Amino acid sequence: MTEKINQVRVAFDNELSGAVTGDELEQVRVKFLSRNGAIAQLFEEMKSVPAAEKPVLGKLLNTLKNAAQGAFDERKKTLSQSKEQRTRSIDLTLPGRPKPIGTKHPLTQTMDEIKKIFMTMGFSVATGPEIETDYYNFGALNFPPEHPARDMQDTFFIAKDILLRTHTSPVQIRTMEQQRPPVREIMPGRVYRNEAVSARSLVSFHQIEGLYVDRGVTFSDLKGTLVAFAHQFYGKDVKFKFRPTFFPFTEPSADMYISCFLCKGEGCRMCKFVGWLEIMGSGMVHPHVLQNVGYDPEVFTGFAFGMGIERIACLRYGVDDLRLFYENDVRFLQQF
Amino acid sequence: MKISHNWLKEYIDISLKPAVLAENLSKVGLEVGGYEDFAAKYEKFVVGEVLERGNHPNADRLSLCKVNVGSEVLEIVCGAPNVAAGQKVPVALVGATIPRNQHDPEGKSFTLERAHIRGIQSNGMICSSFELGLGEDANGILVLKRSAKPGMPFAKFLGLTDVLYDMEVTANRGDWLSHIGVAREIQMITGKKASLIRTRIKESKTLTKNHATIRILDEQKCRRYSSRVLKNVKLGPSPQWMQDRLQSVGIRPINNIVDVTNYVLMETGQPLHAFDYDTLAGHAIVVKCAAEGEKFTTLDGKERILKADTLMICDGERPVAIAGVMGGANTEISEGTTTVLIESANFDPSSVRRTSKYLGLSTDASQRFERGVDIEMTLYAANRAAQLIQEFTGAEVLKGSIDVYPKKARPTFVSLRVKRTNAVLGTSLSKQEIISSLRRLELIPAAQTKETVKFRVPSFRYDIAEEIDLIEEVARAYGYDNVETKTRMTVDFSKPLRTTSLQDEIRNYLIGAGFNEILTYSLQDRVKGHLMADKAVEVLNPVSAEASVLRTSLVPGALTVVQHNRSHGQKDLRLFEIGNVFGLRGEKPEKTLDAYVEEERLLVLLSGNVISAQYGSEHRTADLFDLKGEIQALISKFCLDKYRFIYYDSASALIESALAVEINGTYAGFLGEVGKSIAQRFDIDGALFVCELRVSDLQRGWATEKKLIPLPRFPGVHRDLAFVVNAGIQHETVARGIREAGGTLLANLVLFDLYVGDQIGAGNKSLAYSLEFQPLDRTLTDREIDAEVLRIVKHVEATCNAKLRAL
Ligand SMILES: [Zn+2]
Repeated sequence: MTEKINQVRVAFDNELSGAVTGDELEQVRVKFLSRNGAIAQLFEEMKSVPAAEKPVLGKLLNTLKNAAQGAFDERKKTLSQSKEQRTRSIDLTLPGRPKPIGTKHPLTQTMDEIKKIFMTMGFSVATGPEIETDYYNFGALNFPPEHPARDMQDTFFIAKDILLRTHTSPVQIRTMEQQRPPVREIMPGRVYRNEAVSARSLVSFHQIEGLYVDRGVTFSDLKGTLVAFAHQFYGKDVKFKFRPTFFPFTEPSADMYISCFLCKGEGCRMCKFVGWLEIMGSGMVHPHVLQNVGYDPEVFTGFAFGMGIERIACLRYGVDDLRLFYENDVRFLQQF
Repeated sequence: MKISHNWLKEYIDISLKPAVLAENLSKVGLEVGGYEDFAAKYEKFVVGEVLERGNHPNADRLSLCKVNVGSEVLEIVCGAPNVAAGQKVPVALVGATIPRNQHDPEGKSFTLERAHIRGIQSNGMICSSFELGLGEDANGILVLKRSAKPGMPFAKFLGLTDVLYDMEVTANRGDWLSHIGVAREIQMITGKKASLIRTRIKESKTLTKNHATIRILDEQKCRRYSSRVLKNVKLGPSPQWMQDRLQSVGIRPINNIVDVTNYVLMETGQPLHAFDYDTLAGHAIVVKCAAEGEKFTTLDGKERILKADTLMICDGERPVAIAGVMGGANTEISEGTTTVLIESANFDPSSVRRTSKYLGLSTDASQRFERGVDIEMTLYAANRAAQLIQEFTGAEVLKGSIDVYPKKARPTFVSLRVKRTNAVLGTSLSKQEIISSLRRLELIPAAQTKETVKFRVPSFRYDIAEEIDLIEEVARAYGYDNVETKTRMTVDFSKPLRTTSLQDEIRNYLIGAGFNEILTYSLQDRVKGHLMADKAVEVLNPVSAEASVLRTSLVPGALTVVQHNRSHGQKDLRLFEIGNVFGLRGEKPEKTLDAYVEEERLLVLLSGNVISAQYGSEHRTADLFDLKGEIQALISKFCLDKYRFIYYDSASALIESALAVEINGTYAGFLGEVGKSIAQRFDIDGALFVCELRVSDLQRGWATEKKLIPLPRFPGVHRDLAFVVNAGIQHETVARGIREAGGTLLANLVLFDLYVGDQIGAGNKSLAYSLEFQPLDRTLTDREIDAEVLRIVKHVEATCNAKLRAL
């Protein structure tokens, strides 16, 4: 009999601690504390135990009954209390206190991502002035004084020989003038072109340019580095191609294309139905440029590359009007 | 630049399909921007004749037609209401790709299959102009003219048998601005030989040199002048084929003489000009520079004012053409012209470019001369033009040409080292491979050693002058795709890497503080540009007045952003920008960079609510102290405590209640409220607070290296004190008094209440401070603190005329 009482105690304790809902608690009550419950059963059985054992067992059983009832009541109380808290005293559906959400401009985000990828390859960041001299913007970069190549970049002039830089390439010259190879730098910044403003073109935009000059740098390294970048930035599965082009400060020069990441090369509006997107210009630094900064082109070779941030951001985010980037509508900014 | 496929075939045998050719040209750098190959597009489309039209047995609206397509008669089911017997119609044969599907919402193309339509087999399709991609009419089939021949390929019927390539020619390759130039590039691709058409002229007995004289007075600017004279020319339209060709590449046919000069230009790249010989005074040509300010009327009827360095073609008395740019009205070919003098000359590229730029006149001729024209082409082109004119008009070509060529150009030789080539490209090409690929570009080895080859550069390749130019040719010929994409890379850490900048840190901090980064234009209009400074850098050649002055401050741009957002209902704004502003050091722009100031600034702006409308709390609009708090936190983060704010009486209406921000003893910028009159200009009615700081000053104070200051080991003690002072006494004065008396023991001081009201008497205010005493070496006793506090109270009462207020 003692053993039975203990069994019921253990079973009750187990089941009570397992009951978390009102229904489960009710089941425990019915099973143990009701008129036909397990404890009532034990009292029934008491009638048939020998009289000598009755006082001890009776005490034991009463203790069980009181303890069980007490534990049950306690549990019922806490259960209903927490329910009440949830439903009545606090409306947990109230909104959180509003906090302003800060955002990084999408152009800065794009630039930062590009910077980060090249930094992991050992590139550092260099900057230079936006008001430049003709020498840094053109002369040192092997643009002959009277040459149609200058028409590739319509220029804003400030005074004789002073202009707004048309590309970030002057920073290449400034950087190389200040240090000896190896040079491994990326150069982000604002550039200016004297063109009519439209959804597709602005008088100023951002570029990021890169330069790597050292012993033994080849066109093969150029391809490898830029493909590694493209795979990081656009995804491992993009296809790429390099096509000859012309820049006065690099030779050979190459435009880099990747397969359109929207249509996977099938052709769509974004890639103008050719399946390819031109993403940057590049080339081997022209020996004249190296000579202009006092590097011996027989000893050092290098490559340079450059891309327009607005164009890349447009492709990435599906923006089809460049002016949106400068309007700074907070509803626009907060999407990025 | 438009290039015609059929035209190219005059100079080189082409078996490549246009699509393949276009791809291959792009691969070698002659980018084909676009082309339309109608022969391929309409490969399985022919002209058909509807022999019979009957009703479809199973469908009321369909017709069953018997159509003659030349080789056979096909049964075709047609749904168009306008189909009728006797019509000539475009028929797509089974296997044709229908350009547009009129039953598809996007009009996608599809391939035509033999199909059963309501139980009847249809063996083709009669097309609408929509389906053909020729027009928008989808309501019925396109009915062709009666004379159309059944079986004729549809592209041929349309006269679209040519393919026109839109070439994007790079600035270094003037030689590509002609069909022979492009043909030579195809020669590199296919190895087939490109060559010009042989000229055959029947010359008369009359000697040219007895009828015209040519003198070059400026041999620097005019390097060669070749000429032909033709008599008994009958002016009229040129043959249809020539007109078609010119039109196909975008040149308007004029008359047989002018058309021939244009044709030879597009053929050879050599600009030609035809003079009416009888209008040339003394039948002479003199090439010399103009007199400064001289006036001259060009072919287009415009009067031009010349400069002393403008090279002119003159006759015995007066100028008759601007060399390399445009001919004159005075010697133009016209109705009465019977004798023609053809000019085929070579002019100095920079001279032509200067003239073209100065006059604002860019022509087919000037564009080519600027890039460089083959000096060995002049005579051929003159002869070729003479031949064509003779062919068309039966003109008499005088015997011999005049060819003034003062300094015959020597051929260019350039050496190439095999090892160097491979070192630049990362390839392992052999000498033989290099020679054989360059040979296709007419680069002929003239001499060689084991390691080096000396190439003779053809006269049309102006761009090749040194070894690197040849290396580029090797790369193009070998193919960029074939150069290994080297995936192994060494990372070099020999120089310290800075992976983050202050700008990055400031951005991240402000974004965390709930600010939106903006980027605004750095070119502004005059009003905005001069809003914050009297002197601004102006652009000499702006595209528009809106973008003519470089910004002197980030404030006007930010105000424009606020204006835009407010007009779209966004009034609670927290904005920042990091960007460069510009200024002049002296009075006017100079030609050295030192004359210009360019500095990076940070702008922070607050407007609207700082605590937005919400439950359980009052909303509150921003005030100056919200912005001051943000800036204090920002500067504290990056510059520790080496800063202070100085109140200054801003004379300008721009910024009211302004504070100067000083970092490390240097003025770094200001913060304040934007003046009402300025805000109104931007249609802003609410209060607006801005701060603009020089980034370099933050940078200077930026503590990148940090050292731990040990944490206090003994408990600090708090005491609160409130003083009643005259309303004119500033917080800073009281706080200074407390700090002075508190000494090193006083670790922190916080103003926690500011009260103005009846309890303390009119004209007074109460400032309540919480003080924290922090000993470094012991635990403070109550007595020590009481003494400390008493000293502070006495000092403040004495220096600030304050009274301690019971708390
Ligand atoms: Zn696409």
